[in-house]
Amino acid sequence: MLRRAVLQTFRQGLAQSFFKRNAVSLSETTVTHQPIETSNEADEKSVSKQKPGDESGNTVVVAPPEFRFMYPEFLPDPAMERRNRLKEKLERIDMLQRRSVVEIPEFYTGSVMAVTVADANSPNKFARFVGICIQRGGSGLRAWFILRNVVDKQGVEILYEMYCPLIQKIEVLRLERRLDESLLYLRDALPEYSTFPLDMEPERRLNNSVVPINPLKVKLRPRPWLERWERQNLQGVEDLNLPQRFYDKAEKVAKPWEKYDLMLQYRKTIPAEEQEKIFADVHSQLQQQEFKRKIRRQHSALNDSHMVRVGRDANPNQTRISGSIVPSCMLSSAGDMTFRLETYHY
Amino acid sequence: MSTLGLLRTLFNPKIVTPNAIQLQSLNRSPFLVGLFFNHEQVRTMSRVKRRTTHPPYWHVLKNNQRQDEKISSDNLRFVREVIQDKYKNKSPIKGSDLDIEKKEWDPKTKRSGVIARNIGVQHMWEKDGKKVVCTVLHVLDNHVIRYVPPEEYAKSIIGAKVFRNRKPLGCLVVGAEAANPDRFTRQYCSLFNEVGLLPKKRLARFIVTPNAVLPPCTPLTAGHFVVGQAVDVYGKTIDYGFQGVVKRWGFKGGPASHGATKFHRRGGTIGTGRDKARVWPGQKMPGHMGSERRFCRGLKIVRINMKYNVIYVKGTVPGPTNSIVQIFDTVLPRRKFTEAPPHPTYFPPEDGTLPQEDIWDSSLHVFGSPSISV
Repeated sequence: MLRRAVLQTFRQGLAQSFFKRNAVSLSETTVTHQPIETSNEADEKSVSKQKPGDESGNTVVVAPPEFRFMYPEFLPDPAMERRNRLKEKLERIDMLQRRSVVEIPEFYTGSVMAVTVADANSPNKFARFVGICIQRGGSGLRAWFILRNVVDKQGVEILYEMYCPLIQKIEVLRLERRLDESLLYLRDALPEYSTFPLDMEPERRLNNSVVPINPLKVKLRPRPWLERWERQNLQGVEDLNLPQRFYDKAEKVAKPWEKYDLMLQYRKTIPAEEQEKIFADVHSQLQQQEFKRKIRRQHSALNDSHMVRVGRDANPNQTRISGSIVPSCMLSSAGDMTFRLETYHY
Repeated sequence: MSTLGLLRTLFNPKIVTPNAIQLQSLNRSPFLVGLFFNHEQVRTMSRVKRRTTHPPYWHVLKNNQRQDEKISSDNLRFVREVIQDKYKNKSPIKGSDLDIEKKEWDPKTKRSGVIARNIGVQHMWEKDGKKVVCTVLHVLDNHVIRYVPPEEYAKSIIGAKVFRNRKPLGCLVVGAEAANPDRFTRQYCSLFNEVGLLPKKRLARFIVTPNAVLPPCTPLTAGHFVVGQAVDVYGKTIDYGFQGVVKRWGFKGGPASHGATKFHRRGGTIGTGRDKARVWPGQKMPGHMGSERRFCRGLKIVRINMKYNVIYVKGTVPGPTNSIVQIFDTVLPRRKFTEAPPHPTYFPPEDGTLPQEDIWDSSLHVFGSPSISV
């Protein structure tokens, strides 16, 4: 009985965003949109969902429905001809192994991120790039995302494979979502909408439970464009101001019946029961990793506060620090600390 | 002989008989090619039927042809009990049970192969960060069904063809994927009566030298192979069905616009008017594409998972995902074994110690290890 109730809440979460696999588009759902909760909230929620026992006496753990949006690459490619449960299971094990080494944080299209990659041609052997995530895709170990920025008036986009071992660090500097799933229109927008300072600091959010949706409407440059944006129902773009013939042609070419095509949506998504199984499988390990990282961050915060105490007593120009050496990569990037310290490597 | 035939005999070093295939000995100087040889014929396999929808005539009928029998639930339960009783006593052979004396491995030994299922493709990375596409092959529950000694095999039709000019070798029949005997005919199940195993869905033959023979009922697992070795994978390619000339043979077709009338993906001309005045055999035309036997040779094994019986092989194999393939040690001379592999096959250690679960090649980056820094 309880399990059915739990399943129902899970499925409600799915039903609300039924027509979009990855995240909700506000215009399409008729149900009031519930904000997506972050991992902190999700952890507490998951704890509450663990009921003492069911008929057989076993504890049943159900992952929160938000996992579908936080970790979309754990869901396999829905094409039925190429699915195999054993292979997906093995791939998930490998993904979790990689995640135990590198923190791959929760992010969405529209978040500003910084990625550090090992690069033989760089002076420090590491290359760091900051950009806004304009698209993400792939499933399993092939998952990727594209970061875009404008550097010296030149637009630059880099596609990163999330599980590539060359990636040293992925930081989310600003966690937010936009009104669209794919921000490819930024290529035709004014450059200020894609420009982010390369030394941008991670922003700390006051309200950790909800991922904010940035309702920004972007101004596009005058035509010609790379794609026919008027045909794509973009929410995050200002009025395109095109002659009426463009909109007429867009209507002619549009497929409004697709949102009623249940079989099409069914073939594009993984069924709810399978999603539950997959995320229940993966849930406990992800929780453990998150917990370990929190502890590590707290330790590093303690270390740094210890160093501040030493620094105040000693000569401020002195560069020596007693106590534990904390490498700079262990400084938290997700905004847990209220101040940044310079640390020195030995 | 025609004019062209005469000219060919004049310009060729050796005299050509009417029925011979005359490709290799042609004088291909540009002057002659432009003047006389305006058509090359490909007759090697054009008359051989490459695929059939029916099995060979010596196969027994496999799948049960009976319609739904109206059988009561009690009787159904009884049938299941009978099946369980019949097959429950069989235990797989351990290394010490091999009654054939353990023969030494030598470089000319041919070991048995293994039947596996291609379960998909996974991306892995090498230690320098280079991405590598690996095919995941799941070794099914293989058991040796029977051994056909060389003298007997050489007398069979296939054996006679294979060993026409060489010393005959033995043949191991291996089966994979046990299934409920209800779905097969009695004749097919009788193939497994000697062994006492549940009938298998797939059977395959592997040519082995007599010193690599395995007794019936021996299990074959992923441990049969060694990480870093090269294997050949045989499979049936993806069935594309009836395909046009552009996809099947890579023709360029015609222009998409500029007034082209109904000529976008067609073949164009199929012959000249003068020479031989007919369509030559082997002319490339639309037809059935795919579903053919192919071997991918020399693929390197980069990872073996002993717990799930899975092999990761660098590269791709013939056939779609979830299709059955056969894997055996490579025939390529430079990539063969230099030191002894598990011979005749791998047996788990008898003292109960579990083998290492996940074995990686030294060139691959293991996922749990720290990120690569160049």
